[in-house]
Amino acid sequence: MGAFLEVTAAGLFHAAVLFLVAAGLQLVFGVQRILNLACGSFYALGAYCGITAGGYALSLGVPPLLALLVLLLAGCAAAVLGPPVERLLRAVYDRDESFQLLLTFALVLMLQDVVRMVWGSSPRQVDGIYLAYGQVEALGARVPVWNLLVLLAALAVALGLGTFLRRTNFGRLLRATAENRRMAASLGVDTGRIYASVFTLGVALGGMGGALVVPSSAATPEMAVELVVEAFAVVVIGGLGSMGGALAGAAIVGLLRAVALVVWPELELMAVYAVVVAVLLLRPAGLFGKPAT
Amino acid sequence: MRRIAIALVILVALAAAPLLLDEYRTTLLLPVFGYSVALLGVNLLFGYGGLVSFGHAMFLAIGAYAAGVATTALELESFEAMLALGVAAALLVAIPVGLLCARYTKIFFGMLTLAFGMLFHSFLFKFYDLTGGDQGMRVRRPTLFGLEFEDLDKTGFLVGPFYWYCLALTALLTLLMWRLVHSPFGLALRAQRDNPRKAEYLGVEVGRTRFVAFLVSAAYGAIGGAMLAVPTGLADPELAYWTHSGTLIFMTLLGGFAHFAGPLLGASTYVLLQDSLMSWTPYWRLVLGAVLALIVLGCPQGLMGLPALLRARLRPALVARTAPAE
Amino acid sequence: MPTTRRSLLAGAAVAPLAAGLPLPAIAQNRPLRVGIIAPRAGVAGTVGEVGLKGAEFAVEKINGAGGVAGRKVELVIEEETNAREATERARRLSLQEKVDCIQGVVSSGVSLALGPVLEESRILTVFWDGTTQDGVKETMRRPRWVFRSTDNECEAVMGSLMAIKHWRGQFVTVAGINPDYSYGRNNWAAFIAFLKRFNIEHRVVAEQWPRVGGMDLTANVAALKAANPDLVFSSLLFADLPVFMRQAHAAGLLEGRKWVFPAAGFQHTSLKNEFTPPGMIFGHNTLYFADPQASPLAREFVHWYNERTKDWPHWEADRAFFSMEVWRRGVEKAVKAKGGGAWPSNAEIAEAIRGIEVVSLGGPGRMRHDGIAEQTFIQGPTVHDPRYDFPILDPAKITRMDGSGLQKPEGGDFWKWIAEARFDI
Repeated sequence: MGAFLEVTAAGLFHAAVLFLVAAGLQLVFGVQRILNLACGSFYALGAYCGITAGGYALSLGVPPLLALLVLLLAGCAAAVLGPPVERLLRAVYDRDESFQLLLTFALVLMLQDVVRMVWGSSPRQVDGIYLAYGQVEALGARVPVWNLLVLLAALAVALGLGTFLRRTNFGRLLRATAENRRMAASLGVDTGRIYASVFTLGVALGGMGGALVVPSSAATPEMAVELVVEAFAVVVIGGLGSMGGALAGAAIVGLLRAVALVVWPELELMAVYAVVVAVLLLRPAGLFGKPAT
Repeated sequence: MRRIAIALVILVALAAAPLLLDEYRTTLLLPVFGYSVALLGVNLLFGYGGLVSFGHAMFLAIGAYAAGVATTALELESFEAMLALGVAAALLVAIPVGLLCARYTKIFFGMLTLAFGMLFHSFLFKFYDLTGGDQGMRVRRPTLFGLEFEDLDKTGFLVGPFYWYCLALTALLTLLMWRLVHSPFGLALRAQRDNPRKAEYLGVEVGRTRFVAFLVSAAYGAIGGAMLAVPTGLADPELAYWTHSGTLIFMTLLGGFAHFAGPLLGASTYVLLQDSLMSWTPYWRLVLGAVLALIVLGCPQGLMGLPALLRARLRPALVARTAPAE
Repeated sequence: MPTTRRSLLAGAAVAPLAAGLPLPAIAQNRPLRVGIIAPRAGVAGTVGEVGLKGAEFAVEKINGAGGVAGRKVELVIEEETNAREATERARRLSLQEKVDCIQGVVSSGVSLALGPVLEESRILTVFWDGTTQDGVKETMRRPRWVFRSTDNECEAVMGSLMAIKHWRGQFVTVAGINPDYSYGRNNWAAFIAFLKRFNIEHRVVAEQWPRVGGMDLTANVAALKAANPDLVFSSLLFADLPVFMRQAHAAGLLEGRKWVFPAAGFQHTSLKNEFTPPGMIFGHNTLYFADPQASPLAREFVHWYNERTKDWPHWEADRAFFSMEVWRRGVEKAVKAKGGGAWPSNAEIAEAIRGIEVVSLGGPGRMRHDGIAEQTFIQGPTVHDPRYDFPILDPAKITRMDGSGLQKPEGGDFWKWIAEARFDI
C-alpha cells in the first residue's frame, strides 16, 4: 500500500510541474494559435531564476520555509521576457504555421545559450530547501512535504485559472478573442494587449513550474529541450487549447511514467510517446479538445 | 542553359576541392553532401509539399543505423549494401508512418511526426542490447564498388575515393529529384500545397501524393544518414532527436525552400557556418538561433531569395514600374 | 619519515624533473602541442574541469623543469560533447591544429566511438577515463596508437569486493540504479558477476536505468522503495548523483539499507552530510584527496587545487596527470633511444609508452603492453568528519588495490578471469 502511494505521489509531483508548463502552452495556443516550442525554455529560465533567488534568499537568512513563496515569485520573474518575445512573435501571427513553429524553435536555440551565458553550463542546485520541509508519513508511505506543496500549488493555479477565465471580465475577453479574433477586434477589444498579457501569463506559468522543481533536483541547460516533448505529449493527450485537457493530460503522463518505471523501466518515455501516437490517430482532438477544423 | 552551366561549374569545383583544399576542410565537405541529400528529401515535403516534419531526423538515424547493422551484425562491407539496407529500412518505417500522417497537415502533421521521431529516439536509446544505447553502433569503413583501398588510412580514404563517390551520388540524386519535381507528380504536389481542396477537385489524389512524397523523402533521408555516418564511424541516437529535425528545417529555410537548389545551398552554408562559429564562440547556438529568427522574419525565401529581396528593396521604383505578375 | 617504497618512487619521479634531462642536440624549439578533449559543460562539465586542472598542474611542473626533452608543452583544448562531435573535434585537432598528441575524454560512450577512428587515422592518443569496451568485452586489441584508461569494471570489481568484504551475509535482495550508458551497464554486469563468483545468494529486485542527465529521479526512488532491496549498487557518477541522494534521503530510501557507490568520488563534495548518511561504500578511483598515505606530490597538488578552486579534487585530475606523465615518459624514452639528432616519430613514441611505469598523483601505475592503463584504486566505507560537510572515507578502513588485481589481463575474457582469478579481501 505504502509503495503504491509513493509511486502515485511521485507521478503526481511530475504531473504538477508538467501541468504548469502545459497550462502556459494551452493558453497561448488557445488565444494566439501558436504552438510555443520555447515553453521548455521558459521553464528552464524559471528554474535558474529559482536557483539564484533561492540561494540568495537563504544567504540573507530567509527561513527555508518561506522558500515556496520565494520560488514562485522567482518563477514569475521569467515573465519579464513575455512582452518582448510576444512582440517578436507578433510578426508571424498571420503567417504560415510552419514559420511560427520555426520562430519559436529559433527562440529555443537562443534561450539555451542565454541561460548558459548567465548561469554557466553545469547543472546548478540549491541546498537547504527541499529537506527543510520534512516528510509526511501516512498509510505506510513517506512523501516529502515539498512534493505535496507543489501538487497543491498546481491545483491552486488550475482553480485560479479556471475561475479567472470563466468569471472575470478579462477572462471573458480572452475567451472571446480565442473564439474569434476579428470579431473581438471589431468589437473594440485591444487584441494587442490581450496577446501580450496571455503570452506573459503563459511564460510565468512555465517559469513557476521550473522554479518549483529546483529544490529537489537541479537546473540544467538541457532541461528545456527535454521538457518540450513531454509538454507536447500532455497537450496532445489532453486536447489542444483546453485547460481541463492540460490537467488530465499531465496526470496521465506523470502517472504513466511513474508506473512504467516500476513495471517495465526500459519503456519509460516510450510508453508516453506510444500513447501520444495512439491519441493522435484515434482521437486527434484529445480527451477534452475540440475537433480540429 | 545557364542553370546547367552553373551546375557544371560547381560540380567541377567540388571535384577539384580535395586537390586544392587541405585535408581538414575537405572532410568538412562530407557532411555537406550527406545533408544535401537529406535536405532534398526534406524540401520535397516542405517546399514542394507544404508539410513541416519535426521527426524527419529519424530517417537519417535509420540510414546511419542500417549502415551500422550492416557492418557489425551482417558483416556486409560494401557501401552499396549499406545504402540499400538503409533505404529498405526507411521505406519499411515510412510506409505505416506516412499512411498515418498523410491525412494531416500543418500543426498536426508536425506534432505527429515529432511524436514518431521521439518514439524512435527512445527506442534507439533504451534498447541497449539491440542498438547499443547512447553509445550507438559502429560503422566500419565500407568498400566502394567492392574496392578496399587498403593502402589508404581513414583520412586518406575520406578525402579521396569516398569524397568523389559521395559527390557523384549527390549529383545523381539531385538529378533524380529535379526530374521528380518537374514531373506531373511534382505538379500535383505543389497543387495540393497551394490549395488542397481545389487540387482534389481537379483530380489530384491528395493523400496519395503526400504519401509518395513522404516515402521519397524518407529514402533520401536514409541515404543522407548513411553518408553522414561513415566519416564519424558511428550511428548514435542523437541523430533522431527532435532538435535535429528542427535543424534540418532550419537548413532548408536558410538555403531557400522555394528554390530547387535551396537545400544544397542551405546544407553547405549551415555546415560551414556551424564549424566556424564553434571555433569562434561557445555560444554558437545563440548566433544560429538569431540567424534563423532573422530569416523567418525578414528573409523567408532564404539565401536563394536574397537577390530578389535586395533588388526589391534597393530599387522599389523599378519594381513598381514593371507590372507585378502574381 | 621512513623511506617507504612509495616515497622513494615519488622522490625518484621528482628528481629528473628538477634536474632536467640532458638536451638532445636538435634545432626544434617549437613547443609540443597536446590537444585535450574534455567536457566543459553539461552533466560532466565539472568532471572535465577537474581533469583540466590536473593537466594544467602537470604541464606547469613539466615546463617548470624545462619541458619534455627540452621542449615546452602547450595545451589546445576542445570540448567533449557527444561521440559524433568529439570525432569532428579530434579530427580538427589533428588536421588543423596539428597537435602532437591527443589526450582527454571522460565518457566511455565517446571513447568507444572515438577510439577506432583515432586508431584508423593514426593519431597518438591517451584517453583519460575512456575505455573501448563493448560491455565487458574489449573491442580494440593491441591498438598501435590509442592508449586507454583502466577498464570500466575496476571500480565495480573493487566495489563488489568491498561489499562482500564488509557485508557478506548481511544482504539477500539487491537492486541497481545505474546511468543508462555503457559505463553503467558494465558496472552493473560486473557486480552481478562477482556475487555469483563468490557464491553469494542474491535476488535482483529492481534495475533502474535513468538517462544520463535526467534530474527528476523521484519516480525512480519510489520504484526502488517499492522493491525494498537490502543492498543497492549504484554507479551514478555525474551531477545526477547528489540529486538522487537528496531525493532518496527525503523519501526515506537511504535508511536501513546498504549502499555501494563505486564512482561517488566524482561528486564527493556535493554529497552533503545532511542528506548523505555515513556507512556507505564510496569509490574514489585513483585519487582520494584526504589519503593519509598520499605522496608529497599528491599533497602538493591537492593544496594547489584547493587554493585555486576552494574545493577538493577527485580522480579525474589524476587521470589527466597520469596521461600526461605516461606520454612524457614515453617521449623522453623514445628521444633517448634515438640518440642525438632526430625527434622520434609518434609511432616510436607509442612503442616507448608501452610498458612504461610512472608515479601518478594517486600512486604507482603503468601502461600495459596492450595499451590499457593499470593504476592504484582507493575505496572504503564512509564517515562524517567535522572538518568537512561531506562524507569522507574512514581512515581506519581504507582499502587500496593495484589495478592488476582489478581488471582482466591482456586479451583476457572477463567472465573467465572472474571465475579463475584469485581475489584477496
